[in-house]
Amino acid sequence: MTEPPIGQPVTDRPERATSADGSRSPVTGRHAHRVTRRSHAPDSGRVAGLAGRAFVLTVGVFFALLPFVWMARTAFGPSQSALSLSSNPIPESVSFDAFSRAFRDGHLGRAMLTGILVSLAILLLQLLTAIPAAYVFAWLPFRGRGVVFGLVLATLLIPSQVTAIPNYVTISALGLSNTRVGLVLPFMTSAASIFLLRQYMTTIPVSVLEAARMDGLGLFRTLRTIVVPLSMPAIATVSVFSFLLSFNEYLWPLLEARSPEIATPPLALATLVASPPSGLPDFAELAAGALIISLPTLVVFLIAQRRLTAGLAGTGVGD
Amino acid sequence: MTRVAGAGTPAGVGGWRIGVLLFPALLGLCVFVLGPALVSAFAAGTDKTLTGPSFHWVGAANLREAFRDPDFGKSVRNTLLYCLLTVIPSVVIGLALALATQKVTRGAGALRLALFVPVSANLVAIAVVFAYMFDPSDHGLANTVLGWFGAGPRDWLGDESTSLPVVALVGGWRLTSFVFVVYLAGLTAIPASVYEAADVDGIRGFARLRHVTLPLLAPTTIFLAVFTTILTLQTFETVAVLTRGGPFRSSSTVIYYVYEIGFTGSFRIGYASAIALLLILTIVLIGVLGAVLGRRARERAARVEADGPDVGVDGVAGAALVGLGAAGAAGGARGTGRPAEVVR
Repeated sequence: MTEPPIGQPVTDRPERATSADGSRSPVTGRHAHRVTRRSHAPDSGRVAGLAGRAFVLTVGVFFALLPFVWMARTAFGPSQSALSLSSNPIPESVSFDAFSRAFRDGHLGRAMLTGILVSLAILLLQLLTAIPAAYVFAWLPFRGRGVVFGLVLATLLIPSQVTAIPNYVTISALGLSNTRVGLVLPFMTSAASIFLLRQYMTTIPVSVLEAARMDGLGLFRTLRTIVVPLSMPAIATVSVFSFLLSFNEYLWPLLEARSPEIATPPLALATLVASPPSGLPDFAELAAGALIISLPTLVVFLIAQRRLTAGLAGTGVGD
Repeated sequence: MTRVAGAGTPAGVGGWRIGVLLFPALLGLCVFVLGPALVSAFAAGTDKTLTGPSFHWVGAANLREAFRDPDFGKSVRNTLLYCLLTVIPSVVIGLALALATQKVTRGAGALRLALFVPVSANLVAIAVVFAYMFDPSDHGLANTVLGWFGAGPRDWLGDESTSLPVVALVGGWRLTSFVFVVYLAGLTAIPASVYEAADVDGIRGFARLRHVTLPLLAPTTIFLAVFTTILTLQTFETVAVLTRGGPFRSSSTVIYYVYEIGFTGSFRIGYASAIALLLILTIVLIGVLGAVLGRRARERAARVEADGPDVGVDGVAGAALVGLGAAGAAGGARGTGRPAEVVR
């Protein structure tokens, strides 16, 4: 830890440490603080606090990562049998055998392609439907807008399992049962995305939109050239959440994707769990499969994590 | 910033243009969410099955059956226990982690990332790993740990007394990470000036946590309590993958029961919809309660933080809850007033 010299004047500390991405780090400021006022606080309390925090964090990280470590250790291990705690935490030889078994038996390659395509299609549709709607709810008043927006929010309370039954009937009636389009269509728009984007768009300064009006920009051009570029942080956040949710969706594909050709990754893995090809559960294969289907969302999350907190904290553009 | 009606509205806004912008979203919501919810509410009063050619209006018969159905009662008790076992620990642990992370200087990014990871986890994949950690054989992780204390191996998921707690552990593991993310965003929204003022007053350490940080986080806490409760009331995936509700319904949740009734066996959509309707009503009630509590907490937080409410995630979240609650209570008429007010 970098500690500022003791006795540093209080005024030296940054007013409000704000990093480039907008996420405020309260660390620097208050850390300096504590050290400056050190004479007032008993040292033993400080040490106990530090130890407590270290303990909480160590245990937290341990349990957060344990399933993934276990997954990787089992998947790369040589044997098909269950791993025991007494075995070496690092396998003597790294084997990719389980991965090829998982790809072969679970048809995971095909499932991953389906999962990524379906999730991206859902994302595209959600952005195309949610961005214009969010713009209307943020900046374009019309009579009854409050009621309409209230109804949009009310849909957030409806569990997806409840709508699944009628949606199944609708998709069948449209002749889209057991197709990739059928996997996408019910998620074509998202009330949560509309809400989050709308909240962010209300922080666009009026002056910017006024200037656009002075320049004679119409509704659609204002949306395309002003609102969308300024809302990029929120659009990024919404996109990541949308992808995570769609890729991990389990119930709808379970109902809709009757034939294995269009199974999504969670469904393909669940099928492999329920009916192992050799009749006995092959833990290494299942762990490899779990690792494979976890990768896309993990990668998306790694890339986007900085943005996520910033987007969630909802820092306005011109605040 | 207060918005003036019409300010920022581009030139030449006609009704049809707004219609064009709104239409795709409203179409999607009406066809795939609102419509189905209404259909479900209607089906709740019928004896419709997925395969049957015709159905009849049976009124409240489905609801009466639900209240007598021991399997439904079991799933309700299981769901409540699941909520209790996941919501309280995850909110407490998530808060502790967020507070502890706050003061870390070096490696904070990596630390946060490690704690974020469960949120992105695929529940089916995680359920596979947990099923294997709780393997009944004596070399499953849990049984190995039991062995250290001299206890014999258990069939965790196959035992009526442990199946639900293990399923809740998987759900809680992921929920904790979600709570952590939201609290972290809530903490970053507290301005440094508040802490400075507290320091001038000599409020530090535990006293500051109790009298400054926690009251300021109260709106976030209420949002999380309500939101995670609503989420866990809808638990499905973990149950479906880990136990299929078994053994002997010991881990069947309400939504899993709805799935079983509506999509397996005799496909009784009418009865499944009736149970789903009861669940929605419960969720709306909790949402309204959360909205009321959230508003109070925000007012209190605003008093603690003298220089006006800083809208972070708790503002947005609170607004969402108020929106939800108002929409549920008053048919949506008051749904928008608050968010516009809260978010500058």
